[in-house]
Amino acid sequence: MCVMIARSQLNWSPLSRWIRNVLFRQRVFFSLISFCLFLPSLLPSAEETIPQKYGGQLVISTVSDPKTFNDIMAKETSSTIVTSHIFDGLTTTNAFTTKVEPHLAKSWQVSSDGLVWTFFLREGVRWNDGAPFSADDVVFTFNDLIYNPRIPSSAKDVFTIDGQPFKVEKVDDLTVRFTLPVKFAPFLRGMGQAILPKHKLKKAVEDEAFNFTWGIDTDPQEIVGTGPYKLVRYDPGQRLIFERNPYYWKLSPEGEQLPYLGRVVYLIVPSADVQLLKFLEGTIDIYNVRGSDFPYLKPLEKERNFTVYDLGPDMGSQFIFFNQNNGAHPETGKAYLPAHKLAWFTDLNFRRAVAHAIDRKKIIEIVNNGLGYPQYSSIGPGAGFFHTEEVVQYDFDLKTAKKILADAGYQDRNQDGILEDQEGHRLEFNLYTNAGNTERLDIAAIIRQDLENLGMKINFQSLEFNTLVSKLTSTFEWDAVVLGLTGGIEPHFGQNVWHSSGGLHMWHPNQETPATDWEKRIDELFSLGVQELSEDKRKVFYDEFQMIVSQKLPLIYTVLSAQMTAVRNKFVNLKPTNYGGVLHNLEEIYMKKEAR
Amino acid sequence: MWGYILKRFLVAIPILLAIAFVTFLLMRFTPGNYLDTMRMDPQYSKATIQHYEELYQLDKPLLQQYLQWIKNILRLEFGYSFYYNVPVVQIIGGRLWNTFVLSCASFLFTWGVALPLGITAALRRNQWLDRLIQFFSYVWLSVPSFFLAMILLYAASQTGFLPLGGMVSPNFEEMNFLEKALDILKHLAIPTIALSVGSIAALQRIMRGNMLEVLGQQYILMARAKGLPENKVVYHHALRNAINPLITLLGYEFSSLLSGAALIEIICGWPGLGALMLTAVRSKDIYLVMASMLMGSVLFIIGNLLADILLAKADPRIRYERG
Repeated sequence: MCVMIARSQLNWSPLSRWIRNVLFRQRVFFSLISFCLFLPSLLPSAEETIPQKYGGQLVISTVSDPKTFNDIMAKETSSTIVTSHIFDGLTTTNAFTTKVEPHLAKSWQVSSDGLVWTFFLREGVRWNDGAPFSADDVVFTFNDLIYNPRIPSSAKDVFTIDGQPFKVEKVDDLTVRFTLPVKFAPFLRGMGQAILPKHKLKKAVEDEAFNFTWGIDTDPQEIVGTGPYKLVRYDPGQRLIFERNPYYWKLSPEGEQLPYLGRVVYLIVPSADVQLLKFLEGTIDIYNVRGSDFPYLKPLEKERNFTVYDLGPDMGSQFIFFNQNNGAHPETGKAYLPAHKLAWFTDLNFRRAVAHAIDRKKIIEIVNNGLGYPQYSSIGPGAGFFHTEEVVQYDFDLKTAKKILADAGYQDRNQDGILEDQEGHRLEFNLYTNAGNTERLDIAAIIRQDLENLGMKINFQSLEFNTLVSKLTSTFEWDAVVLGLTGGIEPHFGQNVWHSSGGLHMWHPNQETPATDWEKRIDELFSLGVQELSEDKRKVFYDEFQMIVSQKLPLIYTVLSAQMTAVRNKFVNLKPTNYGGVLHNLEEIYMKKEAR
Repeated sequence: MWGYILKRFLVAIPILLAIAFVTFLLMRFTPGNYLDTMRMDPQYSKATIQHYEELYQLDKPLLQQYLQWIKNILRLEFGYSFYYNVPVVQIIGGRLWNTFVLSCASFLFTWGVALPLGITAALRRNQWLDRLIQFFSYVWLSVPSFFLAMILLYAASQTGFLPLGGMVSPNFEEMNFLEKALDILKHLAIPTIALSVGSIAALQRIMRGNMLEVLGQQYILMARAKGLPENKVVYHHALRNAINPLITLLGYEFSSLLSGAALIEIICGWPGLGALMLTAVRSKDIYLVMASMLMGSVLFIIGNLLADILLAKADPRIRYERG
């Protein structure tokens, strides 16, 4: 659901990958040494088996510490990954169909004008401290937390339409009514918003201390949710331990109270290479496989007793885009971009040639070890329902690309190997990307080579993330950038990127009126899409939007990496999906008898 | 002596203020600020980002922000981290201790191994033992510590002899005191060795060089001629003189205790300051960076002072009384 620039974590890749390759090829040698030097490790002794599904534990790793346990203030995944086990929303997204389903609300009604939504809450739900859950908590979460003017949060921005909040009222203890200012299609999915306990947080709000409540220094006992697990221990830099919430409301189809697993442990392991070693050693049960790990891990499946699941294309896209901002600096009056560069970048032929020149197969081979998918649609296949394949797909074809450029007047007039435009300006420009994300750096390097094959001169530079952001959002002085966005299911949440007035409409942000007809049409489609409640009718709008983006190429997409997860064969009920990954049904997963 | 120490502390105050100011300027004048990640997140509106700017006082003039920070420091309030929304001290506290434990272990290990090695090598100059030590020193000097850490971790994963990163075992809580100590020592082994091997090689060579120089002096010849036992010549006369330059070095080493281990900490999953500070600098979490910078500086000053005092103790020619 969250759309965010994928900021990379630390990555030691190239060298450490090499180390691993060298070392692992010589495993026999190493094991020999180790056998002589040390006693081989003892196998963990099998505990007594209990003939039922309850108990046991699952150990996961994460690269960084959570920043807060306060779900409203949480800004990034290292925190939300933790809070997602503790808190529930009124609705949830089905990981198989990506449709919205009842969760804390057992059902709902909508008025014929689509503005008044009444939610009927599940009976008998309790917070993990035993206190009953009621409509008061829902009203509190919206009126006192999300709409509280003193609490800045992205939830407030999502649930405010044209400056107007929703009206949230309690009808009775188990019924809540939402009144919307206008029709808002993403509303139901948005109701996946975590509900927080009034009885625990009321005082913090009254004291105006909510922003600093439930930080990482909080006693885990205080953090109370309705989710399947509760936090029992947090050792900074080391581990998070969750225990089963004994009050959890959900039952299995057989009528057994969920969740089954007694404990879930997150180990904080900053280095992905060490995560891999720990997975192979057996201390971690789940490992997110990088493309470079696959050729090594796959053959070990049987011997080491795990399974690598291919979850399909990742949500995160990588793309190149060009500065089409025709504005000038408000104080100095200097244009953000020289006129001739602006002319190239706003020329559709130029962008089409680039789209044809990018060798996506090569990127997949080199960057993803062959495990990736070319991307052409602006809503990736991971989004399920709203994704369409019916867009213009640009095959890698240098000849066509060169011809498009030549026909549009870009030719090598002085035989120096570099193209010039009709006025004689050399096609030379800067290409930026952010340092620190090795995958993106590799992609940018390949694109650079591809464009140079086309006869352009590229000055490639990787910038610190913050530097790049200030170029994109405040100084606007840049030519071309390779960047990524993590996608989500709900297309409307990409509005800030696609609407011409959006601050993240990166190729030409903050437009007062749409600069081009196609940008105007995309604006219209987003307005139509957000006010149409029928999913099927919405899809028509977003299909057209994807078609326009593929024709006009404001962002030129590259490839999506394959998501792969390796899981130890200790668990039953694993149902991995593209949207939900391996853990979307964590509460239903239990340990095999022999694994306990 | 006490007067001298007091004077040194007084001099330290303006130095610390200057360091703090320069850090502050660096953090503010490099492009971007903490809110940039939010600016690139489609779910945040401009109003919310402005709200955050006010909350974190990023909209105030630079000098005002700095003075406010200094004022808070004097009251021992190090401010709130933007990222975590909790006081900086809360975040750093435990991690500072962990880094300190690791650094001390590596410090003791380095000096404990390097000095005897250096002395042995000097006394057996050009014999096979010396050559062997020098050969391995060259090898270890050229191996990057993080590479070594990876290799050690790999070896550990194959043998199961040592734990793979982290600081304590999962069942740490159930152990008695002795087991706990042993558990931490086991977890310390790999990061300590990885951190130390390079410095051992370097320090050993310095020690050997100093020792050789002193052993060639006339007074050593004199001592030997006088018929003093070799033990006394080496350990009483030569060593005391040879070790002086190393004491100065020790002061510097002390200051790098908190900063030198970041890379190894990240690889070995040691819950110290390393990864925390790296993200703090990159995400421009100013007060978190400032607090750790300040602590590093204090250690640096204390380290230098300690070295000077130790030097005075070791070398009777140095006196600070009148200084």
